[in-house]
Amino acid sequence: MRKTLAIAAVCVGMLMASRPAAAHHAFAAEFDASKPLLLKGTVVKWELVNPHSWIHLDVKNADGTTTRWMVEGGSPNSLFRLGFTKESLPKGSEIVVDGYQAKDGANRAVGKDLTFAKDGKRLFMGGSAPGADGGNQ
Amino acid sequence: MRNWFTGSVVVASATAAILTAVFVPVQTQAQTKAPAYKAPRTKDGKPNLNGIWMSNGLPNWDLEPHGPAPSVDPKLGSIYAIPPSVGYVVGGKIPYKPEALEQKKKNFAARAKEDPEAKCYMGGVPRANYMSYPFQILQGSPDIMMSYQYAGAVRILHLGTPAKAPADSWMGTSNAKWEGETLVVDVTALGDQSWLDRSGNFHSDQLHVVERWTMRSADVLIYEARIEDPEVYTQPWTIRVPLYRQVEDNARLLEFKCVVFAEELLYGHLRKPVGTPEPAPANNGKGKGKGKQ
Amino acid sequence: MCKTKWILSMAVLALAVPAVAQTKAYKAPRTPDGVPDLQGVYSNSSAVPLERPANLGAKEFYTDAEVKANKEAAAARAAAAAGKAPVNEVGTVADIHYDTAQFGLKGNVTDAMVSKRTSIITGETGRVPAMLEIATKRQADARAAVAGHQFDGPENRGIAERCIYWGNEGPPMLPVGYNATLQIVQGQGYVGIVQEMIHDTRIIPTDGRPHASDNIRQFFGESVGRWEGDTLVVDTTNFNDMPAVGRGASRELHVIEKFTRTGPQTVLYQFTVSDPKTWEKSWSGEYPIGKIDGAVYEYACQEANYGMANILSGARADEKKAAAAKK
Repeated sequence: MRKTLAIAAVCVGMLMASRPAAAHHAFAAEFDASKPLLLKGTVVKWELVNPHSWIHLDVKNADGTTTRWMVEGGSPNSLFRLGFTKESLPKGSEIVVDGYQAKDGANRAVGKDLTFAKDGKRLFMGGSAPGADGGNQ
Repeated sequence: MRNWFTGSVVVASATAAILTAVFVPVQTQAQTKAPAYKAPRTKDGKPNLNGIWMSNGLPNWDLEPHGPAPSVDPKLGSIYAIPPSVGYVVGGKIPYKPEALEQKKKNFAARAKEDPEAKCYMGGVPRANYMSYPFQILQGSPDIMMSYQYAGAVRILHLGTPAKAPADSWMGTSNAKWEGETLVVDVTALGDQSWLDRSGNFHSDQLHVVERWTMRSADVLIYEARIEDPEVYTQPWTIRVPLYRQVEDNARLLEFKCVVFAEELLYGHLRKPVGTPEPAPANNGKGKGKGKQ
Repeated sequence: MCKTKWILSMAVLALAVPAVAQTKAYKAPRTPDGVPDLQGVYSNSSAVPLERPANLGAKEFYTDAEVKANKEAAAARAAAAAGKAPVNEVGTVADIHYDTAQFGLKGNVTDAMVSKRTSIITGETGRVPAMLEIATKRQADARAAVAGHQFDGPENRGIAERCIYWGNEGPPMLPVGYNATLQIVQGQGYVGIVQEMIHDTRIIPTDGRPHASDNIRQFFGESVGRWEGDTLVVDTTNFNDMPAVGRGASRELHVIEKFTRTGPQTVLYQFTVSDPKTWEKSWSGEYPIGKIDGAVYEYACQEANYGMANILSGARADEKKAAAAKK
């Protein structure tokens, strides 16, 4: 019984007593619902910072030019606890970002879905890196 | 005859060696190093570093020796002018690579806007230890906590199981051990965003700091840091900074949550211009307002 | 399921009896200075809500059977949601978010309770008491002042969005959905507590000194502590106008906290909140915190708060668009 209860207790996603800062309205203020996008690019830098991590990537445009984008993600601290490190998303990784563009038109986006280009697997939780459990938490 | 000749050569070279040792200039050693002091012990037998400490503030202006200099903004008058100092770098100057020295000069010119201290960014290591704000050492068992007044920065020095850093951080990852009277702290995984002082002295993310904390007397703690960064400096170099115990009757570490002082600098240019018509609520959702989170 | 190593099972054992009265008091080991040793890295995550669901009325504890049923229901919900991307309609406000699951931040999954409490707040209602009329008016006035100006400048944004603090940091310290980690270090005559989000450190002297001058007002107030047997009692006053507990609290806020080690891995955290300018009566609560393997990681907020600039920039872009549309 102790063991089962321990497992029940261990999950990171506990019922919240207070809402985190990442509430929907703040993101709706930053990004434009009418500008969904799909970016495919190469990772240049992974900023493991708070309150949100940022992936910087070079995206090749149709005309052959390259544009630098930055994509907003979650706090990396939980990823650290799950075994991820700064090596988990190496420079040069080819990724696909499904998200929305910044309201002010800058090359900034929020990535609601982040996957590797080669196999469609999620970058972090979701079967693609250390600590992932096939998408289960 | 032969023995006498050999003997005198030996004596002569020994004397020369002694004389050389005495007269090698070790300027800061003579000034800040006193005869070895045996600090009182904590109950578990370690030198007692518990307390609230602060430098005299001078290293935070500029680690290198310098004369007085004007403030970044002459309109602020003499209050924010730079006070002079004999410097805290052992050997005098920071051994920059030529291109790095150019970057330092650029930093200095842009310091009013680019100094992380202006933006309420944490001081990093080593700077947080000698800013013009006190910090407190709580010597626990086994870990030591260093809590800094400026921006509420904090470090945990690991004396039990060494910590491994998953990524870089502002205050680094610190593993420590005792060597006699000295606490030796190995600091790694530092990012590249902090500065070393208000004069634009900087480092890269290759920075590796080894700190040595030694009591000099009951109320003076010597902070020594060996600074190594092969991307920026031609060789490792060392700073030595005296830290003074805060002995006021009511000495406490008070809050200095400086975000509110930095917001104008960081976001002033993004404020709503006066006379802008109100937009329709659209998909902005509800704001939170003051005092709510 | 989860890979994170938590040792909250001990907390469950400690709470097999009502937490208020321990039938057999655990004697905590001592620090070298001879005071109870509370040191360690803890999780203060909790599946127990702060306030009791209204339909439970005066019911303060679940039965063993109800705990089991709750746990099974939560596990079933988690299994149903596992591996599925959040389903929101493309182009809607709800869809504008990074995938919390991918970052290990699934904040909307209810896990089984680690205690039998129905709420952290103790007592008959298990809820924060009614606000005084002066407080309700104070809150309404504050909201009215900002209405229509929420994006004018950084001061009108939420406190957490400004990276000043997170409300759960208190005091009282309350559970939060992720990064709910804290470390306690005890130096000679002091207890230091660092909460991960946003790296804020509380330093509590235990030498019997009085509070600081009334002139000194701080976001986290100013704390003094003392040992009562094996319990650390902390008294906090000297709050400024924006104490972290929020909920309308004023400068008159007064928080008392108690820390009691209840086992090798657990500490019982109890608190009482009073504010004569906000609530008609004081309210109290308690929950266990449990030791974890691992460390507090740096959560450096202000240093990479791109969001604040982006949000203000987005608002300015909206205004320009609206102005252009009028022409």
